Amino acid sequence: MDVVKKINKFTPYMLLAPAGIILLLALLYPIGYMVYASFLDWSPSQHIGQAEFIGLRNYINLWNDAAFFESFGVTLKFAFFVVVLEMIIGVGLALLLDREIRGMSVLRVIFILPMMIAPIVVGLMWRYMYHPTVGVFNRTLKEWGFESIPWLSDSGWAFYGVIIADVWQWTPFIFILALAAMQGLPRSALEAAELDGAGEWQKIVHIKLPLMLPVLIITLLLRLIDAFKVLEVVLIMTNGGPGLSTEILALRIFRTAQEFQELGYSAAMSNILLILLMLLTIAMFVYNKIQENRASKMCAMIEKG
Amino acid sequence: MLNIIKTTATSVAALAFAVTAAFAGPYDDYKGTTLVVSFPAHPHYDAVMKVLPEFTKETGIKVEVDQLQYLKMRQKQTLELTKNKGDYDLIAYVVFSKADYVYADQLENLARFFMNPKLADPSYDADDLVAGYVANIGVAGGKKGYLPGPTGSLFGLPFGSETSVLGYRKDIFEKHGLNVPKTYDELLELVCKIPELEPGMGGLASRAASGHHASHAYLLHLAPLGGRIFDDQWNPTMNNEAGVAAANALKKIVSCGAEGAATFGFAEAGASFLQGNSAMFLDTTIFAGQVNNPEKSKVVGKVGWAPHPVGVRAASQTGGFGIGIPKNAQNKNAAFLLMQWLTSKKSDKLIAMQGGNPSRYSTHFDANVNAKFPYMSVFGEALKNADPDWRPIIPVWGKINADLGTTLSKILTEGLDVQEGLDGVAERTKKIMDDAGYNTWK
Repeated sequence: MDVVKKINKFTPYMLLAPAGIILLLALLYPIGYMVYASFLDWSPSQHIGQAEFIGLRNYINLWNDAAFFESFGVTLKFAFFVVVLEMIIGVGLALLLDREIRGMSVLRVIFILPMMIAPIVVGLMWRYMYHPTVGVFNRTLKEWGFESIPWLSDSGWAFYGVIIADVWQWTPFIFILALAAMQGLPRSALEAAELDGAGEWQKIVHIKLPLMLPVLIITLLLRLIDAFKVLEVVLIMTNGGPGLSTEILALRIFRTAQEFQELGYSAAMSNILLILLMLLTIAMFVYNKIQENRASKMCAMIEKG
Repeated sequence: MLNIIKTTATSVAALAFAVTAAFAGPYDDYKGTTLVVSFPAHPHYDAVMKVLPEFTKETGIKVEVDQLQYLKMRQKQTLELTKNKGDYDLIAYVVFSKADYVYADQLENLARFFMNPKLADPSYDADDLVAGYVANIGVAGGKKGYLPGPTGSLFGLPFGSETSVLGYRKDIFEKHGLNVPKTYDELLELVCKIPELEPGMGGLASRAASGHHASHAYLLHLAPLGGRIFDDQWNPTMNNEAGVAAANALKKIVSCGAEGAATFGFAEAGASFLQGNSAMFLDTTIFAGQVNNPEKSKVVGKVGWAPHPVGVRAASQTGGFGIGIPKNAQNKNAAFLLMQWLTSKKSDKLIAMQGGNPSRYSTHFDANVNAKFPYMSVFGEALKNADPDWRPIIPVWGKINADLGTTLSKILTEGLDVQEGLDGVAERTKKIMDDAGYNTWK
């Protein structure tokens, strides 16, 4: 009897075990490996076992590494600009196109095309479009009688050049998510607003945007995480230059591992990036939780009358 | 009686076999062996691929080639070389990897193969191999650790190596009565004169993009102008007078270059010259193969070649690839035979005729090779000044190189002062060298 009881008690754990093991192996092991590697002086020519354990030296060196801070700054600036621009344009487009227009489905497919192109190709494409002499932008400017612009050879312009390419590629992502959210909005609320005489603009500000907010926040979070990790497009377009003006953190990590052959140091950088992204994620969830609590409190108050 | 006949017959047979064995060809023991080699996707190795079947025909040794883009190749080798038993019998490595592989004890010292009378071909003529290449790519453990010297030994042979030469537009030079620059003073005067004479055309197409491109271009000028990255005591010297002169030379070249010159990588600089937008090109010899290819070039038949101009000294770059035998290889002797065959006089010529980069002086001056590639003898002359120490080959170089390259890019595009920028690099380099233990003995 006792045995049966014991087995019964363990059954749920046994059923959970495969999933747990996979989680441990697939998720936590690589992260643990990376955290461990960040305490090593490890070159790719060595087994991890041969690498020297150096404690926190990689992190201390990071603290004194001006180039790391410069790329950290570039990353923050880049993420801020691209996410803000993409959110404004993406949501704006969704608001504009959320209606019955003939050929809408074709239009939508065209809109999301940039997202489907491999990042390496996007990088190459923009690099050639920005080309100082044969690129389409400078050729057009010259034809119209303007001075050509040093798109990728001036540190200021190069930064905006990279932002434009990223906005071009990832705005459609926000657009399709915003559009889906908008089409799922309760028609009753909108109809009620119309009956109350709300104009288009009022409907957007007071009904549509607040109702879409949970989806928009998740979208923002996803884009933010992605913007911190973008690599290929920048690698191909500028390789971080001129100077360090477009060297975002992911590129610095890549170069540290690939060019400088310092795996431990790049693992330490990756950990800092991971911590930053975790903080962002937690902040977003906390915000969501607060919003939910507030909403449920409001509901309770309404029910109480 | 029968027994006696039997014994005699067996003895005769055994003797005959022994005699044949004693006079057997050097390749007989390895007939049927399959070698696995790791080569990069590179014009030289493309030429090698056309010649390799000849080796199998001659020796009976089969060769399986794993040809990858060179960064991919390096990544794969890094994994392979740390295994107990490796898959590769022979690897091509880019010169930077010499420091890593030899230091990690992953390459065979070649002495024991060259000492083995059954393997080493007496007519190999190692004196004919380009000395600068052997010093740069093959030898480690001598002066500064990466150069030849009394304590150095051989770990690889140059194969697909390259040096720097000056390409110039014969038609433009003739049109304006210009002389091909022999010195840096002449070169620097000319780079800015050309845009005046030929509006819209850049003087010299140079790499300048942030990172290793800018650094490479700077190093090309540093050695001829009398500079070095380090002195013999590992003190950074890139910020001394010669270092500043090299950076100023690069700055002048880029400012008088074609439009967008500050972002040129190797491909863009090459394209600028091939498209006829720049009058000169100073970079690796490997580029020469494209100049007369009408699919890629608009300047077919218009390009002349000259040695790298001389500053305080004559010093052209050394780089490219070498081949070596991994410590964990399965068929080391056969791999050595392949290595020796590939770098022999005969094969060096065969590969050169297919468009590869010869590693021997004799091939550079060979009449047949010059009939097909008329620039080859100029390259042979240039190679006499190939400088194996034009850049350091130490494990931390990647980091210093990147810092130097980004700082130079700031000098070129953001107006950073040359002296200030290079002082910063020197200071950070000192820190890197301290951390890596180069200053332990001070």
